[in-house]
Amino acid sequence: MRDLLELSVSAAASGCIYALVALAYLLMIRPTGVINFAVGEWAMVGAFGGFLLLSKYEWPYALGMAAVLGFMLLVGWITERIAVRPLVERGAPLLAAILALLGMLVVFREGISLGFGPDPHQVPEPVSFEYLKLFVIGATLVVFAAVWLFFERTLWGKAFEAVALNRRAAALMGIDLRRVTVASFAGGAAAAGLAGLLVAPNTSAHYLMGVPLAIQGFTALVIGGVGRVEGALLGGLLVAFAEQLTVRYAPLPSGYAQGVPLLLLMLFLLVRPTGLLRARA
Amino acid sequence: MLRLSEVHASYGAATVLHGVSIEMGAGETVALLGPNGAGKSTLLAAVTGTIRSRSGSIVFDGAEIVRAPAHRIVQAGVRLVPEGRLVFSPFSVEDNLRLGALRLEGELSERFDYVYRLFPRLAERKKQPAGTLSGGEQQMLAIGRALMSRPRLLLLDEPFLGLAPLVVHQIRSALEKLRASGLTLLIVEQKLDIALAFASRAYVLIKGAVVLHDTTADLVRRANLADLYLSLAPRG
Ligand SMILES: Nc1ncnc2c1ncn2[C@@H]1O[C@H](COP(=O)(O)OP(=O)(O)OP(=O)(O)O)[C@@H](O)[C@H]1O
Ligand SMILES: [Mg+2]
Repeated sequence: MRDLLELSVSAAASGCIYALVALAYLLMIRPTGVINFAVGEWAMVGAFGGFLLLSKYEWPYALGMAAVLGFMLLVGWITERIAVRPLVERGAPLLAAILALLGMLVVFREGISLGFGPDPHQVPEPVSFEYLKLFVIGATLVVFAAVWLFFERTLWGKAFEAVALNRRAAALMGIDLRRVTVASFAGGAAAAGLAGLLVAPNTSAHYLMGVPLAIQGFTALVIGGVGRVEGALLGGLLVAFAEQLTVRYAPLPSGYAQGVPLLLLMLFLLVRPTGLLRARA
Repeated sequence: MLRLSEVHASYGAATVLHGVSIEMGAGETVALLGPNGAGKSTLLAAVTGTIRSRSGSIVFDGAEIVRAPAHRIVQAGVRLVPEGRLVFSPFSVEDNLRLGALRLEGELSERFDYVYRLFPRLAERKKQPAGTLSGGEQQMLAIGRALMSRPRLLLLDEPFLGLAPLVVHQIRSALEKLRASGLTLLIVEQKLDIALAFASRAYVLIKGAVVLHDTTADLVRRANLADLYLSLAPRG
């Protein structure tokens, strides 16, 4: 029983990390249709930001966290200006932006590996280790509640949703599509950076940490559906529980557990490509 | 108030408008006629900044807007009620109207009152998702939503398409009230009888060019008007 409880808390905490990455995808996909696989590298940048400010310069956690999130907003903003806007303005297809962002992924990864070297770097935890998982869960719930309120209760949230529903109609309302796009990238980068910062005390900051996170987050997104914010949270939790239950109870060598999300991904793409939660239509 | 000179517009490699010039004064009601695919909707897209590739000159109230982004054009006072209405189906009537007022400079409640008075049906259905409205109600919502930012020029793309006669009548009388209030209207319509009765002048657009432009009074006097599209349409 105790064993199961521990497993649940631990799965919920990793599920929250995946959920934040899924949220990052979702914030960008909804208004623009662009799948940005660089979210994993953004998480890595967040983790290295944590290493730099919290380990190296020993800033207090709250201050360091705020600075990292602020920096991530900037990273998202710049990424959009460099890799997305010039293409959109020339009328290039979405695929062009997706590919340009894959290019950015490599730039981020190699930049970090040049700057910090290939070794993992320790990132401190915000609270004592036994409460770390609860902190991760709490922080994630706060973020999801805030994003949910933004979309459901604020006019600008409605405007974002309007862009997701119909870009042309949204433009005819006087919504500035460029501003919505850049804001969605900034928000996506902040969500991904937070995931990296929160996972780093367990995994350390490492220049190769991005791709697995990007895959797990994408799986969570596909399972939960891109239609609603809650879907990202649900999907993240499902992926993590499936992973950890397999490791714990299935007679598989531990390496195979990493295949579980991919198996789930394929299953959902075949059986229910819209995800569990449908968009309100 | 609005002057288009030599406007070209294209989707990718396909040029749809080949140098269109149109002019309308403040308070005028002008009809834009033409067969399917003539480029009427494209012309409205060019005026509202929602087609990427556009050139020439579009002057609204003395300001050149041909390069302006769509939201600036809304801000300047031009609103389009698009073909197919494009209401935000999951959102309530009220939220649709609220989004319409994003660029409103002025009092919001006054605008809500104005639209609800024009279309009492919308007031009754405030909380209902727009997707569950009837076609006619959706058209009322699309018009109401455009009025929320207090535009000075209203562009209407086939507002009566697919509607029952009773609803056509209701929407028409609402538009007549708008016209009487001094709002400048440009209406795209395929049905000649409605368009000619409603507007004071009309342009006929065929294959992306203006082929005819006259007062509706003179157009009505042409005996062969019904054959006009056919005779003007390039053969083959
Ligand atoms: N998004 C688009 N991409 C490519 N071509 C388009 C697009 N929209 C319209 N066209 C083409 O442009 C031409 C003019 O279309 P437009 O919609 O402006 O005509 P219209 O006069 O409004 O016709 P209708 O009366 O049927 O609404 C057509 O040949 C159409 O196929
Ligand atoms: Mg049309």
